[in-house]
Amino acid sequence: MKRNLTISVLVLFCFFFVNTSFAQNAPVKGKVTDANTSEPLIGVSVAVKGTTTGTQTDVNGAFTIQAPPAATLVFTYIGYTTLSLSVNNQSTLTVKLQPESKELQQVVVIGYGTQKKRDVTGAVASVNGDLLAKQPVQTATQALQGKVSGVQVLSSGQPNSAPILRIRGTGSVLAGANPLYVVDGVLTDDIRNINTNDILSLDVLKDASAAIYGVRGANGVVIITTKKGKSGPATVSYDATVGFRQVANPLQLANRAQYTDYLKDANPTADVNAPVTFPGTTDWLKVVSRTAFTTNHNVSVAGGGETNTYFISANYLDDQGVIKTNGFQRFTIRANNEINISKKLKFSEQISLSRGAEQTVNLNGIYGNIYRAAPIIPSIVDGKYGNTSAWGNVGNPLLQLDKANNFTLNNRVQGNVALDYKPISSLTFHSAFNTDVRFNNQKNYQYQFLADNSTFTVGGGNQYQNNSVLFVQNDDSYQYTWDNTVTFDKTFGKHHLTVLGGFVTEKNKSNFLNGSRQDVPANQDQWYLSLGNPDVNAKDDNGGGLFTRQSFVSRVNYGFEGKYLLSGSFRRDGSSKFNQHWGNFYTFGGGWVISEESFMKDNHLFDQLKLRASYGKLGNDNIDQALYIVTATSNLPYYFNNTLNLGSVIQDIKDLNLKWETTTQFDIGLDFAILNNRLSGEVDYYNKKVADALTKIPLPGILGDPDNTYITNAASYSNKGIELGLKWNDRINSKLSYSIGANISYNKNNVIGLNGGQALYDGGINSNTVTRTDNGQPIGSYYVLQATGVFQTAAEAATAPTNTFEANKVGGLKYADINHDGKIDANDRVYAGSYQPKYYGGFNFAINYTHFDLSADFTGNWGNKIYNGKKNSRGSENDNIEASYADSRFTTAKPSNTNPNVITASTPPSTYFIESGAYMRLNNLTLGYTLPSAMLKRANISKLRIFLTSQNLFTLKRYSGSSPELFNNDVNTGITAAGIDNTNYPVTRTFALGLNLQF
Amino acid sequence: MKKIYNKNLNIIAVCMLVLTATLSACKHYLDVNPQGKITQDDIAKDPNAAKALVTGIYNVFYIGGFDPDIDSFQFVIMTDIASDDADKGSSPDDYGDAKQIDNLQTSATNGVVNNVWTGHYQGVARANQALDKLQNAQFDAATKNALIGEAKFLRAYFYFNLVRLYGGVPLLDKVPLASEANQDKYQTRATADAIYAFIISDLDFAAANLPDKGATDVGRATKSAAQSLEAKVYLYMKNYQKAYDLSKAVMDGGKYSLVKDYSLIWRQRAINGDGGNNNSESIFEIQAGINKDCSAGINLYSVSQGPRAGGKFGWADLGFGFNNPSASLLAEYEANDVRKAATVISINAHGTVLWDGFRIPSQDSVQNSTYSYKAYHSRTAEDNCGGNTDRLPKQVRILRYADILLINAEAAFQLGRTGEASTDLTLVRTRAGLPSTGASLLTIWHERRMELAEEHDRFFDIVRQDAVMPGRAAAAFAAHGKTWAAKYALFPIPQTQIDLSGGRLKQNTGY
Repeated sequence: MKRNLTISVLVLFCFFFVNTSFAQNAPVKGKVTDANTSEPLIGVSVAVKGTTTGTQTDVNGAFTIQAPPAATLVFTYIGYTTLSLSVNNQSTLTVKLQPESKELQQVVVIGYGTQKKRDVTGAVASVNGDLLAKQPVQTATQALQGKVSGVQVLSSGQPNSAPILRIRGTGSVLAGANPLYVVDGVLTDDIRNINTNDILSLDVLKDASAAIYGVRGANGVVIITTKKGKSGPATVSYDATVGFRQVANPLQLANRAQYTDYLKDANPTADVNAPVTFPGTTDWLKVVSRTAFTTNHNVSVAGGGETNTYFISANYLDDQGVIKTNGFQRFTIRANNEINISKKLKFSEQISLSRGAEQTVNLNGIYGNIYRAAPIIPSIVDGKYGNTSAWGNVGNPLLQLDKANNFTLNNRVQGNVALDYKPISSLTFHSAFNTDVRFNNQKNYQYQFLADNSTFTVGGGNQYQNNSVLFVQNDDSYQYTWDNTVTFDKTFGKHHLTVLGGFVTEKNKSNFLNGSRQDVPANQDQWYLSLGNPDVNAKDDNGGGLFTRQSFVSRVNYGFEGKYLLSGSFRRDGSSKFNQHWGNFYTFGGGWVISEESFMKDNHLFDQLKLRASYGKLGNDNIDQALYIVTATSNLPYYFNNTLNLGSVIQDIKDLNLKWETTTQFDIGLDFAILNNRLSGEVDYYNKKVADALTKIPLPGILGDPDNTYITNAASYSNKGIELGLKWNDRINSKLSYSIGANISYNKNNVIGLNGGQALYDGGINSNTVTRTDNGQPIGSYYVLQATGVFQTAAEAATAPTNTFEANKVGGLKYADINHDGKIDANDRVYAGSYQPKYYGGFNFAINYTHFDLSADFTGNWGNKIYNGKKNSRGSENDNIEASYADSRFTTAKPSNTNPNVITASTPPSTYFIESGAYMRLNNLTLGYTLPSAMLKRANISKLRIFLTSQNLFTLKRYSGSSPELFNNDVNTGITAAGIDNTNYPVTRTFALGLNLQF
Repeated sequence: MKKIYNKNLNIIAVCMLVLTATLSACKHYLDVNPQGKITQDDIAKDPNAAKALVTGIYNVFYIGGFDPDIDSFQFVIMTDIASDDADKGSSPDDYGDAKQIDNLQTSATNGVVNNVWTGHYQGVARANQALDKLQNAQFDAATKNALIGEAKFLRAYFYFNLVRLYGGVPLLDKVPLASEANQDKYQTRATADAIYAFIISDLDFAAANLPDKGATDVGRATKSAAQSLEAKVYLYMKNYQKAYDLSKAVMDGGKYSLVKDYSLIWRQRAINGDGGNNNSESIFEIQAGINKDCSAGINLYSVSQGPRAGGKFGWADLGFGFNNPSASLLAEYEANDVRKAATVISINAHGTVLWDGFRIPSQDSVQNSTYSYKAYHSRTAEDNCGGNTDRLPKQVRILRYADILLINAEAAFQLGRTGEASTDLTLVRTRAGLPSTGASLLTIWHERRMELAEEHDRFFDIVRQDAVMPGRAAAAFAAHGKTWAAKYALFPIPQTQIDLSGGRLKQNTGY
């Protein structure tokens, strides 16, 4: 931006000093205005084509220039499309300039540098920080949901959970499918420490342009740039929201009547009037959930002097969980400073401190149990818990919650110091030391309680904790990356060249120390290891990790007349995680700004039209360290003479030639703006192929590997897709403006080949698997029996193929005997869709009318399937069921050909449990009112806006469960078995009242 | 002045950039060793490592549960539940794979069959690794040969189970190099005879080089243990002379005697010097104990077979309820046989009080009606690791003297030494509170069933008997309500393993 300004000024100087005149010249007068708003434009440069004659418009947008009657005048203005107009003997001209698309004017961050959006040859999406800060969510990426094509975001209602991002599909199974995050130069996998209000912009490198991050770029890169101050007086901002969250769409489970009716079939011998039961209905979700409060306060001060700028902020976020006891609080401070030591030398630092305190709950246990706990057992009566386990059921979820205290403290310092040296204007030496230091402290305490009458209304069962257990862990990690780059950036006539070269050194060190003891007193002040029993069940553990990377980076961007664009980057990466350290990664791309061509000058359709394409190779080394080194397991106990002896074994089989996964990606895209830039958009096609993907190859049992697998580079996956993003901006008058945006992405994920790797089964339900990752199918496809109905008569059940899972009986599910061998077994499974959506996207709408603003963001997906795991997963005959199933299940009185009579632990996974995952959600609705500035002037307030906002106001869905958005961030099952709804945290709805104040 | 200052700064900046360039180009920057791990190379350099590797083989006994398994729950399913001695137990639909095996419907994709295969080969691999490193170990010859003997004894035990379960299996006699692992030599089945020959050669070495009971640590393999196992192996090979000689050698050695009270054999503690862990009749026994992280016990062995709540529930139960002594077993006990009450926990209408005083409530609150007493580990009168029930320190008796007496009896009978057979039988029956009986194959086999019930021997034994006297198995399973077929003598080779061999492992007939 600044550079262009300089160039313009230089051009103007030329006009002033080189003044040639012609005899026939006559003065031409005129006024230049904005084509849309008709507001005068100040400082537009006006030149006579083919000459050096030129001038500028004044404060009223007016100009006077000496020009021949047949001359052509050229009007150029930053942010507007250049206009050529012939004088045609006129002496007065009315000139309307079309604003250039903001999209194309935007500066995007492309890794180790920035570029104007219009010069970019790759698929890079850029989102303004203000847009993200608008939503009352902890982590910026959650607010990205539905906003950028090609980026799928999954979030959870659980406080402090990191949203899951999939950029252009799932590209890895074992090496992680999350993108790389770069926060002001710090490479990280976790941005939950970043205060969204501090974010200036968020840029997503979707295509091979991420190759500038080499071995870490394969899943795409999200670059976050935090705010800087601007020279001038201090601006103080205060932003706050206060609100509450509740469980959205709570799932209705069977009540007493429905449950006892079901038990007659599921467990006829159960005595529903046993002493452990009570006459009412317990709504277990209600028992453990609550309306949770959430607040967020943010203060920042920004400004600068002649030689420095500063931005300082503090943020406090308190996010209660809708599950009782669960919650998260975060405090962050940021200081970003830039100091110009001399004209050539600049020092800058960006640093953030964050402290997060989290009270977690054991989700798998509690949320799964809410679903299954019997409604005829009381939750708690006079301080004594209902005994669900004595009822032959899961443990009492409330008791589980009350008898555990899990507390985690995360402290993090993240930032950089950098020195920029500019010996000449076109050359910049940049050295930045980026670091990320974390100190975490975790304390988990399980209270002692017995399965007797002191705990329960009626004693018994298997829910007890005979001894209290304290677990304490301290861990820390230290990471630095040292970037050293040189950038050469110069315009030679019609040529614009940017060359980057440099090297990066990276080191990661981590360490943990933990211990657990039993019989530590229940008093919270005594939760220290030294107070536990030193002799029984006392465990201590200590370990660590260390890995390094070294890289050489380079990139060339070349533009000719702003029309023809070429770019290429090359990165040589070394990673200590492999025996063969080094690999090469590259990208090259080209762009053609068609709208700049002379033959397009007269077109009235396109204000902007650009064709771009890129191709490149990227890597993924995000795997455990030393996976290629054979190690021994030591300290294995055995007793001789009743004395402990420690043995060791060497048994893990490793691939000594392990290497990174490589991704090649081709992208072709078109950017356009039409109708006076009111409608702009981009469409992209991509084809991404991952080769040498890590896969677990099953090993023959004879080799004695404990898990009978080893990890090697064998698999290949592909993601192909089309993305479309559209934006409509219009300003009707000074009072009313509005915008509409929409984006949709289509992605087809496919396992090209496991190449010797065997199909990966995952998603265990009732000791069967639900998904299979195999050749020719999307990763994590459902692979289950095909349910064909329900047996209506005993005769029908008797003649059907033998079911090896459970006996055929009236009211039982019928399955297709796919291989026609006369029995229903694991060989009859079929592929039944995948959790990965074929289409996803969002649309948003914003309108400003006088002082009011209203915006709505929708997001959704379709073409994916959900496995209703909660329904299928049965621990005992006494597990509770969904109310809707209770009413629709097969009974002799009310036969059904869809829903079986009962679902037991033997009911195999089948298509019966698969449902459509299509949904559309009103992700955010915000109504704001900005107080008229006249009112505020007296109080020295420059801006005061109050707003009401709601997150997840409603969801249109077909899925019968609570939420179609299934959040699974497990490193393994999150990829190969996501989409099984089993133990998800309840999705929440937020209502908040907010305030933006600036003075 | 200011200008000079700036110039200096510029020079410093350039110098720093150059400096960083040189510093970070360090050559070995990327050579990072694994943190907190001992590499194979470290082991090779440590002279004492070989000894730890031998201890590491014994440790493999602790694996199991629902995973790869040697002597735990999965093995119990394939030996007891598979046999006519026990029913699957637990709730009717619980654990489909176990149900398949109980119902003689085992398919090649059965997970239990694969777990026992992979578990045993883990044991074989640990033994081979130890033997590999022992080659270069710096010990005196006796120590070294004793360690080799232990490794070979254990390897022989693993293969003996494998050959009885699956027939001929791949023979891994060393750690194959990565380049060799895929060779036909390892990926195809050796014949059962070749496996038996390999077992015998391992046991010959072990018997010749191991110190005997008393001359080595309790819990380590001994000369007698090797001879006993070899005697049993020869019985399966129908080499009655060798079985007789070796069992006789153990008996003549005089190091073992029957525990007086049969019920005390499986207790942790002796009572008045009788019974308990490593008792007078224990020849080889899996050792367990209480270590700080509660990892020194067989995973789920005891708890998987413990009594399970059902019906009205309402009590803190003791386990998953698998492996219930069958009606057919109960029916075969003679009246007054003390072994019945010591083998079977019978649930009755009025509650059942166990030896340690634990009261199991009446039948309407219990899932099954019988449970194995031999797998029971008292939560109150015996040790456990801080309430950890998964790894109760139950020491499984793998070889005990009564078994040797019965092996001797059968071998002697087959060799025509009926009198000696009868003497052996009398020893066993007297302890059981039963009168002497004449020796015949049927009386000896009856005695084996009664004596060794729920000790993971029955399935092998009935298959062996069927080979000696065809029709035995069919009759036994008919009495158990199941239909026997010849193919059940061997379990299927796990389909997974056949697939992983690229089809080179051939399936047993009938599957």
